[in-house]
Amino acid sequence: MSKQIQDAYIVAATRTPVAKRRGAFRNVRPDDMLAHVIRSVVARAPELDLHEIRDVIVGCAMPEAEQGMNVARIGLLLAGLPDTVPGITINRFCSSGVNAVADAAKAIQLGEADVMIGAGTESMTVMPQMMGNKVSMNPAVFEKDENLAIAYGMGLTAERVATQYKVSREDQDAFAMASHQKAVAAIAAGAFRDEITPYAVMDHLPDFATSTVRVAERLVDTDEGPRPDSSLEALAKLRPVFAAKGSVTAGNSSQMSDGAAAVLLMSEAALKRYNLAPIARYRGYAVAGVPPEVMGIGPVEAIPRVLKQAGVSQDALDWVELNEAFAAQALAVIRTLGLDPAKVNPQGGAIALGHPLGATGAIRTATLMSAMQRDPKLKYGMVTMCIGTGMGAAGLFERV
Amino acid sequence: MSKFRIRKVAVLGAGVMGAQIAAHCANAEVPVILFDLPAKDGKPNGIVQKAIDGLKKLEPSPLATSDRVQYIEAANYDQHIARLAECDLIIEAIAEKMEWKLDLYKRVAPHVRADAIFATNTSGLSINALSEGCPDSLRPRFCGVHFFNPPRYMTLVELIPCRGTDATLLDQLEEFLTTTLGKGVVRALDTPNFVANRVGVFSMLAVMHHTERLGLGFDEVDALTGPLIGRPKSATYRTADVVGLDTLSHVIKTMTDNLREDPWHKHYQAPAWLSALISKGALGQKTKAGVYRKDGKQIKVIDLAKQDYRDSAGEVAPEIAAILKNKNPAERFAQLRASTHPQAQFLWSIFRDVFHYVAFHLAHIAHNARDVDLAMRWGFGWAQGPFETWQAAGWKQIAEAVRDEIAAGKGMSDATLPAWVFTHDRVHGEPGSFSAKSGLFEPRSTLPVYQRQLFPERVFGESGEFSLQHTGKTVWENDEVRLWTLPDDDGKRVPVLSFKSQMCAVGPVVLDGIIEAVQRAEADYDGLVIWQPKAPFSVGANLKQIRPVLEAGDFVGLEKIVARFQEMSQTIKYSQVPVIAAVNGMALGGGCEIVMHSTRAVCALESYMGLVEAGVGLIPAGGGCKEFAIRTGALAAQTASNDAMIWLQNIFQTIAMANVSKSAKQAKELFLLRESDTVIFNPQELLYVARKTALGIAAAGYRPKLAPAGVPVTGRAGIAVLEMMLVNMHAGGMISDHDYRVSKAAATALCGGEVDAGTLVSEKWLLDVERAQFVDLLRTEETKTRLIHMLETGKPLRN
Repeated sequence: MSKQIQDAYIVAATRTPVAKRRGAFRNVRPDDMLAHVIRSVVARAPELDLHEIRDVIVGCAMPEAEQGMNVARIGLLLAGLPDTVPGITINRFCSSGVNAVADAAKAIQLGEADVMIGAGTESMTVMPQMMGNKVSMNPAVFEKDENLAIAYGMGLTAERVATQYKVSREDQDAFAMASHQKAVAAIAAGAFRDEITPYAVMDHLPDFATSTVRVAERLVDTDEGPRPDSSLEALAKLRPVFAAKGSVTAGNSSQMSDGAAAVLLMSEAALKRYNLAPIARYRGYAVAGVPPEVMGIGPVEAIPRVLKQAGVSQDALDWVELNEAFAAQALAVIRTLGLDPAKVNPQGGAIALGHPLGATGAIRTATLMSAMQRDPKLKYGMVTMCIGTGMGAAGLFERV
Repeated sequence: MSKFRIRKVAVLGAGVMGAQIAAHCANAEVPVILFDLPAKDGKPNGIVQKAIDGLKKLEPSPLATSDRVQYIEAANYDQHIARLAECDLIIEAIAEKMEWKLDLYKRVAPHVRADAIFATNTSGLSINALSEGCPDSLRPRFCGVHFFNPPRYMTLVELIPCRGTDATLLDQLEEFLTTTLGKGVVRALDTPNFVANRVGVFSMLAVMHHTERLGLGFDEVDALTGPLIGRPKSATYRTADVVGLDTLSHVIKTMTDNLREDPWHKHYQAPAWLSALISKGALGQKTKAGVYRKDGKQIKVIDLAKQDYRDSAGEVAPEIAAILKNKNPAERFAQLRASTHPQAQFLWSIFRDVFHYVAFHLAHIAHNARDVDLAMRWGFGWAQGPFETWQAAGWKQIAEAVRDEIAAGKGMSDATLPAWVFTHDRVHGEPGSFSAKSGLFEPRSTLPVYQRQLFPERVFGESGEFSLQHTGKTVWENDEVRLWTLPDDDGKRVPVLSFKSQMCAVGPVVLDGIIEAVQRAEADYDGLVIWQPKAPFSVGANLKQIRPVLEAGDFVGLEKIVARFQEMSQTIKYSQVPVIAAVNGMALGGGCEIVMHSTRAVCALESYMGLVEAGVGLIPAGGGCKEFAIRTGALAAQTASNDAMIWLQNIFQTIAMANVSKSAKQAKELFLLRESDTVIFNPQELLYVARKTALGIAAAGYRPKLAPAGVPVTGRAGIAVLEMMLVNMHAGGMISDHDYRVSKAAATALCGGEVDAGTLVSEKWLLDVERAQFVDLLRTEETKTRLIHMLETGKPLRN
């Protein structure tokens, strides 16, 4: 089915650490985070002539205010890319980051570009509410019952998934606990060290004694979300927040976070020109729609679709980065598709590591690339997630 | 002399009392430094910080708003002791150990400023003995200031001088405690446990003594010694559990140790069962078991015979309940005394022994009988103190009965009643209350601060008690309101409107009354104050009066009542003279809407405001929703986004959940009060301040603000945003179908109806929208069921 004229390869991928909402990056702007990762990813290919970058595609789920005004273009200019390099911000909510990588790859596949950047940035700190700076909903939504789920909060949809797919509170809490344990162990083992480019935050603080502003540098180099002290007892005590008799709690949901990532992609011709070795080949990307009230189940449709496109069997997957929007939906996806739990999020997921919406897809791509660089046995890897208002996305990569 | 200003307070000791006293200062806009020992591990202020954090979790909250904690600075003696020099008042509230306190005094004395007051919150130690630990220079500035737990809510503060305390300083402190912190001050003598605890703890001992003697159950005694005899719901043993059985035992021990000559000394010891519970670690509420224990939903009570807990029942015999219902106190006491029923014998005995006790001790423990009575009202929540109870029941008869029973050996002590008991026929009356010390009747304090209390709380028999019928001069009245002028309203300038209806509920007659009162004030006066002699301000619409119209299905009649409600609100809002709402206690529903439409509200801190109509399946329609639409529209106009939803979302939740503010300050956070409304701390000063406020506003040449020409509303877009919240709550099983419907009606009224966002509407349009939504809800069966349920049970139904 493919009309591509060439393959697209991932040459480098890097990300910021992921900070908790109002945490280590509380005073860091999303466009600065983006500039940081763009600068870092091109630095990983020093041979590259920056003028060759045909476009910078950036995913962002709430592209407004600090991350509005086409944050892609602002971020790349702040990064010091030549002003001949264009940029576009795209939005498919939680899959925006991997969607940006896929779109960048497609431009190469089509022969329209040899060098592209796909990225994602999101600061949930700057977003006053989950729905952006101004909450708004179309009155028409309430006029037809079948449209009501458009107005559902994500937590409520997770409750629906938990009920429909019979995922118990205990299983959700155990899944959440495991996510923290895996993430804590991965950090201890230094597994994220290669993919992260530490961020030097400049704090501008009042020195009350001298009435001067003290500028201090603070290096952020580790993900902030994972909790070594997470316990089943503590998780069991949390109350469901989205439904009176529910099972979805703050503890078994993803964390709100700030972060960014960028992925550098090239054609084979460009690789040769710059004498660069790729990490992986882009093998495909698929999105699919599901009923909005069970949006968490989205990957169940998207994963088989991309595998079929690429002609790869599910069993061939060695590493799956499945975004843990909620333990309920992650478990429902794993069980429904029969994914091997040992291969899903070996270093923890969004419940522990955080979920900066539109950046997550690019961030987890960086994690997957890092794993592939470390372990020659990994062949096929995937980045997949559910998407608000009922979609799923899955991107497939093959180590080369 | 120049005014004494307390700009900053230090509290030493971050225990339960210290931290809560600090919180109450912060409530009153008085910054506090809270000291304790440096922590051995972790951060040096760890102990204090933990106490400050703990304030946020206490219920009822010591904090008027959650942000108050930021005004309490944590400090420790090692690092920050020099900062005491910043403080004008230092309150010591560390553990009740004489040597610890004296050590601390030595340490802090060099840092106390020469003009600062140093006071101890001891509940029992001798103020004079403690003052010996102060350097000579500090002693004139030392005294006792004894708060009751919880200090925000308990009115009483006992003020105890030591020998040599500067008299002016005590007056200054009394003024601060009374106006700034809103407390009721009783000047006490330096005798063990002072006034309230001395009498209150004896009363508990008497209850325990007679419980055992008559073989009654603890739950039975609590049923007898609660509201039925004008005491708090927690009665005796539940109070002990709340206070902590160990604390109670400690207070009793102070009496054992320090009152060896007292004729009741043999009773100053914890009963065996109490000591047994303490040794088992059952200390009451804090250990989840004491006299009572909660097993799931079942409350269990300790049964001494079984040495185990049993289900708590606590029933009052019908014949005793009948006696207690008798409104004539003389007859009531005579009947109790005459009855052979153990419950009657019990009640008579506990009163008799307390009468005996207070009469015997009056000369030593208090300046006069009024101080004892007020201390028991304010410190123990009794409706009446022992002396006034006695006087109300007939001084002579009771005196003779007590005397006879002492002679018959029935009393807990055989001490003879003092002679003055028989040479007087009352302790309260003109020109004051009896002092056994001086043998004279002492008038009330003449401190200037009390001129701010126009109708102070009076004890029975004292002159000057407020009467809704007779106090002042009636200007006009109907069956449910009275418009009157103060006895000394100079120039008859600001009349007062008070409601006569039960709980100050607002029905058609009250509505007529308010409108008439405003019109009369406009015609003849400079302003109007709406004030009730006692809380509540108003519980809202008078459902009882509306019930027949509702049951007859007369929706035209119902709409007329609502329209009249709106007319009342608008009359207040556009009155040509300032209308001041003086609020204390609940201001709910329609009561809250009166406040919202006033020119200015003057509210006691303990004002509990809310638009609670959702509880009966309705929405605010006395102009409440309309006011929010106007106010948020004006706020939005000052923002770049023009988005009133920033405010309306929270307001909507307040209305949909029928939330009630837990203080007047919190009512501001909920937008039920305006920033310009005044919060005062002493409800006794409410009328004084409200009247001054009316005069001040009138003096500034008051004109009502003109009606807005066009109010921008959020319309359909706003309703959709709020409905999104409802869809989620409904789908999450958190609200019922009818909750959804009621809340959607509130959303519609708040957003100005189903018009396009940004449409300019008139005030009348907004009133029409809220009224139409209200009447639509009245037509539903579910709302009718809710209304009737509320009338019959007093509780909201969420069907």
